[in-house]
Amino acid sequence: MKAFANINPRDLKQAVSELQKPNAVAVGGGSDLLGMVKEHLVEPDVLVHLRGLRGFDQVSAKGEEVTIGGLITLDTLSREPMIRDRYKVLAEAAESVATPQIRNAGTLAGNVNQRPWCWYYRNGFPCFKNGGNRCFSITGENQFHAIFGGGPSFIVHPSDTAPALVALGAKFRIAGHSGERTIPAADFFALPKVNPARENVLAPGEVLVSIHLPKTAHSVRSTYHKVLDREAWTHAVVSAAVVLEMDQAVCNSARVVLGGVAPIPWRLPKVEAMLAGQRITEDVAAKAGEAAVEGANPLAKNGYKIPLTKAVVKRTLLSLA
Amino acid sequence: MKTLNTVGHPSSRIDALLRVTGKATYTGDLYVPGMLYARVLRSPHPHARIRSIDLSRAQALPGVKAILTHENCDVIWGSGDTRNKRYLFNNPVRFAGDAVAAVAAVDRHVAEDAIRLIQVDYETLPFVLDPEDALKPGAVEIQPGGNLSPNNRNERQPEVYKRGKIDDGFQAADRVFEDHYTSSHINNAQLEPRVAIAHWDGDHLTVYTPTQGISNCHTEMARDLKIPPEKVRIVCQFMGGGFGNKNQNHDFELMAAMLAKQAGVPVRLEFTRKEDFVSVHGRWPTKQYYKVGVRNDGTLTAIQLRGYSGMGPYRKSSGGIGGIEIYQCPHVERSVYPVYTNMAVSANLRAPDYPQSVFGLESLMDDIAYALQMDPLDFRLKNMTRKFNDQLAYTSIGLEECIRRGAEAMEWKKRFHAPGEGTGIVKRGVGMAMGSFFSNMGRSSAVIDVDSKGMYHVHVGVTDIGTAAKTTMALIAAEELGVPLENINVIWGDTDRCPYSVGESGSRTTTHTGHAVVEAAKDLKRQIAEKGMPQGNGMLTASVNTNPPIPPNVARYSFVAHFAEVEVDTGTGRVRVTKYVAAHDSGRVVNPLTATSQVKGGATMGIGMALHEQLLYDKASGTPLTAGYYHARVMTHLDTPEIEVHWIETEDPYGPFGAKTLGEPTIIPSVAAVANAIYNAIGKRVRDLPITRDKILGVLA
Repeated sequence: MKAFANINPRDLKQAVSELQKPNAVAVGGGSDLLGMVKEHLVEPDVLVHLRGLRGFDQVSAKGEEVTIGGLITLDTLSREPMIRDRYKVLAEAAESVATPQIRNAGTLAGNVNQRPWCWYYRNGFPCFKNGGNRCFSITGENQFHAIFGGGPSFIVHPSDTAPALVALGAKFRIAGHSGERTIPAADFFALPKVNPARENVLAPGEVLVSIHLPKTAHSVRSTYHKVLDREAWTHAVVSAAVVLEMDQAVCNSARVVLGGVAPIPWRLPKVEAMLAGQRITEDVAAKAGEAAVEGANPLAKNGYKIPLTKAVVKRTLLSLA
Repeated sequence: MKTLNTVGHPSSRIDALLRVTGKATYTGDLYVPGMLYARVLRSPHPHARIRSIDLSRAQALPGVKAILTHENCDVIWGSGDTRNKRYLFNNPVRFAGDAVAAVAAVDRHVAEDAIRLIQVDYETLPFVLDPEDALKPGAVEIQPGGNLSPNNRNERQPEVYKRGKIDDGFQAADRVFEDHYTSSHINNAQLEPRVAIAHWDGDHLTVYTPTQGISNCHTEMARDLKIPPEKVRIVCQFMGGGFGNKNQNHDFELMAAMLAKQAGVPVRLEFTRKEDFVSVHGRWPTKQYYKVGVRNDGTLTAIQLRGYSGMGPYRKSSGGIGGIEIYQCPHVERSVYPVYTNMAVSANLRAPDYPQSVFGLESLMDDIAYALQMDPLDFRLKNMTRKFNDQLAYTSIGLEECIRRGAEAMEWKKRFHAPGEGTGIVKRGVGMAMGSFFSNMGRSSAVIDVDSKGMYHVHVGVTDIGTAAKTTMALIAAEELGVPLENINVIWGDTDRCPYSVGESGSRTTTHTGHAVVEAAKDLKRQIAEKGMPQGNGMLTASVNTNPPIPPNVARYSFVAHFAEVEVDTGTGRVRVTKYVAAHDSGRVVNPLTATSQVKGGATMGIGMALHEQLLYDKASGTPLTAGYYHARVMTHLDTPEIEVHWIETEDPYGPFGAKTLGEPTIIPSVAAVANAIYNAIGKRVRDLPITRDKILGVLA
């Protein structure tokens, strides 16, 4: 790996200031970034290690909001009683990530900001993500690539927690040199047509500090279903994060967000609208599955994601009925 | 079968405590004072001529001590190719991952920086990945003389085996079935990474290396470096697996030795995990075209196979497509084309010729049984081998018992059903397959000393690649000497301290070296009977070289039948192995504890090969996409079912106490058993490995 300086900032202010240095990169758990540095996919001059910052690794409830520090490990997050109880979709998403070792090190902010696992990108092909100007998957091995929202890059967003956070209507607090801003999770992620080199709107020198969840009613049911390519340690082939606000057996409102199918967490507004005011029956769930894949645009080798997505949406809904 | 005192009883490994407490020193744990660290620069291109290499920037980097390229190193790696001259550094480079240069420097980081400063001017050449494409007219020539690798008689002809007359066999058939199958390149994926430390003391070379055979490595290092064998010492005290890709000597050992020579200090050369996947070797990918004739009563009349094995650009191993010998059949014709391609090198991986081939053969046999409305189990019982190639009597054969006992444990009669039967979304099915593996006897040696305290020091040249070979040798010695296991001290893994031993490949260690231990123990017992136990500082020593013959009119084989039950989710294409039964005839089982582990390991590798493992290539660039544990989808614990192991202990007149081979048979039928279970579950056949979700959803669509 290329030689780099390591900085352990005292506080957030210093961290943000250090991140303004040329070619500085923020490190959370480092479980993915250090591997990328070894592979020369990232060649930072400065690593700003955030793990020593205090107060950004906890879950706290205040008023109408629950705040989760970006540095909380995925393992801690998945075991947090408040999250398990009221935001099950997020706890399940966090515990579906990778392996116990990675969940012990990897952070929530790191998972949300994780770079794609497209094998062309990870093998150093000169693709959009590596500073090039093409996507090799289009005519290549695209088994795991996007069926929605692709072009010019066809990566799929790798995060399990991101679809859960979008489904929960989370807000992301971002700190940068010029101050802080808070934006809805859905606005954080950006399609390749906006910028094919990146997956979100985080500017250089900015960090995702914390995530804010609206308080949920007890009538909310949520879950995360992930299809893996083996029984552990793969990213989602297809996943679904579903949050339903129920009135007895009737669904008042629904949020359905897919992972593994698009370059961003892929929300399904039409499906959500269909579900509002419905009982989640076998038939309704099946229709939702059909509607979920409307507009899908598969590549040569990922057409199987269409029946798979239908099945995942249907089953995830039924599991909450 | 007569019960023995030590052999046949479950015993923990004699080094178990060292291994589990981290006290065992693997090669990667060794540091020699003053040593340098070395890294390798590899070709990004699948086929390219090197016009020039500019080392000036690398040489100028402080801390760089030695650099090797094809321009200053003409060492031929003899074991790297049995047909062509394969240098340590080749020009042209013939696969993405072929070595271009090696650098030794004061630390890892300087060595890594240095290889990135080497500027190579490549002229890229056309490349070919598919073995059939490589044989087409106009395909780029990868090795001089063409892409069909020469056969054993050095002819540019496929390897052909024939018996009977294949046309007569098809004439005699009521029905003829034809189908074709493909299998992927699979990496050995052993846990221990590749690292060698080479140290010259004058003209005397010591190499610490994870090798499957210190003796082979020893003679081959001497051969390739053109130095007398007595000037070479190979040490491997603890070994973390190889599954066939640490047989013989390897390029990394030669590179370490040459760098150490150039630098004048010891050198430690390390491969990354990715290099291990791409640049060493894996199982050869195959394309198999079968045609089988059968009578309506299920009797086989003809088996024909035309097969292609992609060997990568260097011919390290057979490229065989085996397994037909498991069937009794009067007319057989098998033509196998080992072909050069620009993919990663293919060579030995646990039962090299078999699991991919048995997948093809047993898939078709299953289809035939179903087409004839026979239970696939009965079809195998009817057609299974009785004599090797219908000619030679087996020294022992428990195949029928393997099938019957395995079927019973699987509750075959209860679980078996018509293909695809059942109405639920999640479908269950069972499948089985069978196999055999050569269990010859051969050359090895052992030395046993006894001292006045009654300790027996057993010197054997084994390294123990995970099979518990050291423990096996101790058990065999204790049994034959009639002493408790605590009185046995095994000395292993060092060519300065151990006699020749056969390499730990071909599942031969128990039979070959175990037999030598038996003979040495017998000799020592004779000496003790004659002279009495040694007194004071006295020692008695027995030293044997053995090469027991097997009569030419018999064949010695191990046999196996595996049974899998799977659940296939027809909505998501997910396959789970829910029950697995392995029944093995390996003669007498020396240590049931570690033998059971062997079976579990082999079956696990086979399940991975059936369901998700592969080294996938980008066709446009000719470069691999799935190197490493993550992308290659190697098995995890959660993928591994409970594996039930049954021993069919036949009495065999040869081998130590009648032991036959075991390590490799464990993977042979596993891929096919899973594939056949998937077919039974969903009633659709996937003929290309691995049987991934996209293929399952594809055939169900």
